[in-house]
Parts: sequence; structure tokens; C-alpha cells
Amino acid sequence: MAQKLPVDPDALREQVRGKYREVATDPGASFHFHTGRGLAARLGYEAAAVGALPDRAVESFAGVGNPLSLRRLEPGEKVVDVGSGAGFDSFIAAGQVGPGGQVLGVDMTAEMLAKSTQTAERLGLGHVQFREGLAEALPVEEAWADVVISNGVINLCADKQAVFAEIFRVLRPGGRLQFADIANGRPVPADALRDIDLWTG
Amino acid sequence: MLQDSGFTDVLIGEAVDTFGGANGENKARAFEVYGYAFMARRPA
Repeated sequence: MAQKLPVDPDALREQVRGKYREVATDPGASFHFHTGRGLAARLGYEAAAVGALPDRAVESFAGVGNPLSLRRLEPGEKVVDVGSGAGFDSFIAAGQVGPGGQVLGVDMTAEMLAKSTQTAERLGLGHVQFREGLAEALPVEEAWADVVISNGVINLCADKQAVFAEIFRVLRPGGRLQFADIANGRPVPADALRDIDLWTG
Repeated sequence: MLQDSGFTDVLIGEAVDTFGGANGENKARAFEVYGYAFMARRPA
């Protein structure tokens, strides 16, 4: 039986696109979350890895944790970054897997994809590419990835079970999901869960 | 939910004060919202 979702997935996606379009094009604006280098330091990313990246690769970073904190990626691994945004985690991953690995970022916001793609080109990272797609329908073949990463994205998806099923599909048997996301210690009232404005703000 | 999707070996990292000092801090505090790293495996 289909699960009843708290909000309409398409309406939520439009809300999320609007928010992250602004993060891509005006990263210095005021948001309800931290962004950029200060956020990366707060979340414990390796300072040298972040410092090696140009501002355009870091300024629109809006993650909620460090998906690579529990395990560092290994050279040669193939990685999918779900909701790659302007590419920050993809570029960090690219440094860890090295030129023998591959990183494929997937995002649904055109402005984020344009920014991440241009940054990869400027950095000469031939083993990093970005594709348009949804977390629930990744443009990735079955069992392609050694590792799937994501940062602060799954909480913004209405159908989380569909997202996890899709990640399971693109991971090879034995592959790992490494993601960061928020969790609440106190229950959120049902009416708040149905309020799309509260999902992104 | 991860286990319902077939994942095993689930690990959860330490809580991170993601929203501390941000504009959304008050809402985050109201519901004890923190960031976490998660890791899980697709069985071989």
C-alpha cells in the first residue's frame, strides 16, 4: 500500500528549488542556516582540503554534517553525491578518491548544476561530473556506485523511503551509504509536518 | 527506515550543532535538531 506523505512532493521540490537557487546565486544572503567556509569548519571538514578549494566551490555549501566523518573514501572508489548542490562535497570526495575514482553529483536545481559543472571544469577535474535528477529517480545505472554520499538533502524529500530504495539500487552489493542529515530529539507536531514553509525555513 | 530499505551495519556519529548561531537556531533548539553523520551498507 502506498505510504501517505505529509506534503505534496512536487510542491516541496519547488519550495526547495527556490531556496537553493538563492543559495547558488546569492550565497552571501541571510539564510536560516550557515553556509560556506564557516559552516565547513563548524562541521569538522579537514581545513587543508577545504582551503585548497576556490571560493565558488565552497560559498554555496549548506550541508548539515560531514558525510565523510565516519569513514574516509578510498582511492579509486566510484561515488554518487545525492543533492550535490554547488559541488562542495563532490569536490572533497574527488580529492579522496583521486583521479582513478569517479564522482557523480546529482541535483535538481539548474543554478546549482551550472555552478558545480563550471567549477569542475575550472579545476580540471575530469573524474567529476554532474547530472540533473531527483533523489527518488537517480540518473545512475544499477549497482554502479561503491559509495553514495548526501548532505542535508534527504530531510527535504517527502518520500524518504523512496530515496533510500533508490540509493540501494545504485549501490553495488557491499557498497556504503554515507550521509549527513538532521534529526530532531523532540517530536514535531503533525500540523507543522504538513506546513511546507517549515520544511525549508 | 534504513533497515526497512535493506541496509545493514548502520552507524550514527556524534551530534553536531549545525544551527548554533544561525538564524534558525531558535527553531532548532525548540525541537532539539542536530546534524548527524550516518553510515550503512548494502549487503554483499
